[in-house]
Amino acid sequence: MIRLYHVYKSYGTHDAISDVNLHIQKGEFTYVTGPSGAGKTTLLKLLYGAERPSAGKLLVGGVDASRLSQSQLPFLRRNIGVVFQDFKLIPNRTVFDNVILALEVLGMDRNDSERRTRAVLNTVGLRGKEDSWPLDLSGGEQQRVAMARAIVNDPAILLADEPTGNLDGAMAVEVMEILLAVNLRGTTVMIATHDTGLMNRFPNRTLRFEAGRLVSEK
Amino acid sequence: MNALPYILRRTLASLWENLALNGVVVGVIGAALLVAGTYVQVMVNLDRIVERWDRDVHISTYFYTDVPVDRRFAVKDDLARLPEVKRILYVSEDEARAYLEERVPDVEPILEELGAEILPASLEITLRDTYTRPSDITRFVEKIQSTDFENIDYGQEWVQRFNNFLSLLQMLGVALGSLIAGAVIFLVANTMHLVVYARKAELETMKLVGATWNFISTPFVLEGAALGAMGAGTAILGMWGIHTVVFQRLQSYLQLALGADQLVFPPAPLLWGLVGAGVLLGVAGCWTSVRRFWRVAP
Repeated sequence: MIRLYHVYKSYGTHDAISDVNLHIQKGEFTYVTGPSGAGKTTLLKLLYGAERPSAGKLLVGGVDASRLSQSQLPFLRRNIGVVFQDFKLIPNRTVFDNVILALEVLGMDRNDSERRTRAVLNTVGLRGKEDSWPLDLSGGEQQRVAMARAIVNDPAILLADEPTGNLDGAMAVEVMEILLAVNLRGTTVMIATHDTGLMNRFPNRTLRFEAGRLVSEK
Repeated sequence: MNALPYILRRTLASLWENLALNGVVVGVIGAALLVAGTYVQVMVNLDRIVERWDRDVHISTYFYTDVPVDRRFAVKDDLARLPEVKRILYVSEDEARAYLEERVPDVEPILEELGAEILPASLEITLRDTYTRPSDITRFVEKIQSTDFENIDYGQEWVQRFNNFLSLLQMLGVALGSLIAGAVIFLVANTMHLVVYARKAELETMKLVGATWNFISTPFVLEGAALGAMGAGTAILGMWGIHTVVFQRLQSYLQLALGADQLVFPPAPLLWGLVGAGVLLGVAGCWTSVRRFWRVAP
């Protein structure tokens, strides 16, 4: 599902990602871990096309993501759900409108979109919060809205950047259970995290990065 | 296209949500088009004045005093048969004198002093409307030159000069219009850039979840078109105000000084042109600012 061949990403003289080779199978659940500045977020950005590799080849779902034009990029992103570290919710749209957006960009029928949106909000435990504004929600609830938006269109790949970083223990477990449920349905999930407790509680393939290099894997 | 209802909904929502900024855009477009529209308004009326002058072209041919009266009438009949001539009138020396005395009081002693030949007999020729262009008149005057006429006067020279002045005004208008258009596109683009900037987070998120260029830009472009049309509407209202308040007050003065007809408001096609220009400005401004965003957003 995801393949990286000698991928580099440099900012000036600094290598954020350096000579990374990686192969992630369809349906795998993977943690990307390491200290701050290790390259975890950069790796995710490369995967969803927010950054382009400085060198190397990057295949996402069989598509060479390093060569996509601006007009082709949206079609790659429609197959990738992303839970951003800062949630990236639109403050002047309700919870419902934030989530349905991922279906509206596909041009999906309004009735189907509404049905799926309600279903997914139910799944992430936000039933009754449809008409709330994002800024009126707690951090955990905002996180779940972001997750609902990332999974509402059944993406082939789900990327989550520190999805439990701002949450307390119980809430973090809840979020992890949702991610595992999504993975069970066949979605390839990759999570950037440095929460070792969580990785120990829900053990999966773990890629450790340091200074932009993939240093270990277990 | 299934995204169409969404796009229309977003366009209306955005018009409503950004009232203050949209008001600025409408104001900028309206002010620019008011300047352009007022210029058009002035030009339309000046054109009408010149057109009227052209329509009223008279050619006066003055006979030598020694040309016999029957010869003068023979010349008149010959000229009356020409296709360019609409009307021809013979004015004798006595009629010319009576005409002048009627209009200029106390001129009689002066005329006595100057002698009878000062007001020769003439033919007053009015041309058909299709022969009133300066080139047609010149050609006609050359055609009727004869040894019977001492002088041919057709007062077209200053009409030609005024026409040249109008052409200059038109060229200045085009140059000024281009400058204004450039400035307005710049202003609208920057104002729209503020609108885009205010919604940067929203647009960025849309792009990140897979929205295409058309999906993101179309509501903005439609919004720009609507703002442009509203700007043009504002400008037309302003022009109507100027027409009612300023032009109508100038009416009697212009009628006296230039023989102007009733001053008119620009006709519908020109007003539609103004609306089209507003729509184009709005669309161009929005498109360029969204394009700028699209290129730099992740």
